[in-house]
Amino acid sequence: MAHTYLNSLWFMPMVLVAAPAFSADYLTVAQAQALIFDKAAVFSERPTLLSSDAKDQIKDLSGVRQRQDQQPIWKVEKDGQFLGWFVVDDVVGKHEYITYAIGISPQGEVLGLEVLSYRETHGGQVREASWRDQFHGKTLKDPFKLDEDVSNISGATLSCRNLLDGVKRLLVIHQLFLSQSVA
Amino acid sequence: MRTFSRHRLSLVAASVLTLGICHTATAGEDLFGYVKGAEAMPKEAIELYQKVTLRNDKGQGTYRGINYETELEYGVTDKFAVSGSAKFMSLDTSGLIIDGYLPKEKNIGFATSGAEVGLSYMFLSPAKDDIGLSMTASLDYDWIDVHSGQDKDTLSLDLGLQTQKYMLEGELIWVGNLGMESTYADRAPIANLPEDFDWSTDPEMELELKMGTGLSYRFAPNWFICAEVLFETEFETEIGQERWSFFAGPSLHYGSADWWATLTWLPQLSGGGEQYEGQKDTSLHLIEKTEQEVRLKVAFNF
Repeated sequence: MAHTYLNSLWFMPMVLVAAPAFSADYLTVAQAQALIFDKAAVFSERPTLLSSDAKDQIKDLSGVRQRQDQQPIWKVEKDGQFLGWFVVDDVVGKHEYITYAIGISPQGEVLGLEVLSYRETHGGQVREASWRDQFHGKTLKDPFKLDEDVSNISGATLSCRNLLDGVKRLLVIHQLFLSQSVA
Repeated sequence: MRTFSRHRLSLVAASVLTLGICHTATAGEDLFGYVKGAEAMPKEAIELYQKVTLRNDKGQGTYRGINYETELEYGVTDKFAVSGSAKFMSLDTSGLIIDGYLPKEKNIGFATSGAEVGLSYMFLSPAKDDIGLSMTASLDYDWIDVHSGQDKDTLSLDLGLQTQKYMLEGELIWVGNLGMESTYADRAPIANLPEDFDWSTDPEMELELKMGTGLSYRFAPNWFICAEVLFETEFETEIGQERWSFFAGPSLHYGSADWWATLTWLPQLSGGGEQYEGQKDTSLHLIEKTEQEVRLKVAFNF
């Protein structure tokens, strides 16, 4: 009956073809800040604790659940001039959370988007400038529909949709809690 | 019993070894052991996966079948994928003879048993549309009877519809399946059977209907806990409804960028139709099905 042990070795070739690991964290917060804003800009951390009512408001306006109580937010200035806000966020990917950051102008426009970590099977194109640039200038007046104002990446539709919804949610947070707070 | 323990141990060891050695992952990703999702592989993506299914216990004597399937799937377009697989099996049956189905005790260590080609097409994307919808079609040719281990040419066409719904941004996933399998089967004669034993060598046609549903929840990054229910019923020209069975059980799924694995335990909860003489548990179908099924899938994406 020795062959019965061999049956289970059928898995071994599968193990041997396992692809090597790759780095998942591409940017630090500081690197993303420098890419979206001027390198000479000053970032003042303004962590925002969102109450249950605030989270409900965000969901009502954005149509997306606000999962985090604490939203990491930085106020951005240069030479005493207010440049806008820098926000770090996580959205659900197929396997793990996708960490990204956006800059928001004082008028509520997206100044840029950077992907800090992405660990999914498909859809590495979310890190390419051509895809991220589609968010530049986005405001809450835009439709935020996949394949309408932002293109979909095949095999990573859930990631694209959640990033799109995430940006809309951050613009809602800006509208509700940041746009009046520039002091 | 000793052999059974050896098999269980070796399967577990292989699983642990497989999971332990691989630090990265990928794939078209089956969250469940049996029911399928509706999401398509992207164009030019390749998935290689190994499926091992343990079918154990018919309520009397020893019955243990292990089926192995190695499959390669390729995304032709972003909606259309093709696949091909090779099938292997081992079987150990003793202490149970079933008229018409299990003519002799059989011990197959490891044998090539069949091949399958398939295609899938996604009509609606579960992540982009309100609900996902896809269809699958596969042509399956087996030369060993999966139940008895005897020589039997079986040609099956399996058609399926899959729906999938993402909820909670994709942390909660529901799938529903409908399927129909049409089978043409031709048994080889067996020498030295008792005169009154029923072992028909006339070709037969069978029609099987399948319904399944499952719910999966991502409880931590990379980890999903799932539950699925599977109903199958088979009809034959002469008998009418030959059998039906309900299987239900949990799955644990791990998925990351380059590989994934799904372990499923699916016991038979109830079943009916034909029964063998002297069958003790009459609430189950134990001629073509077993009391327990355990399935492990491991896959790699390229």
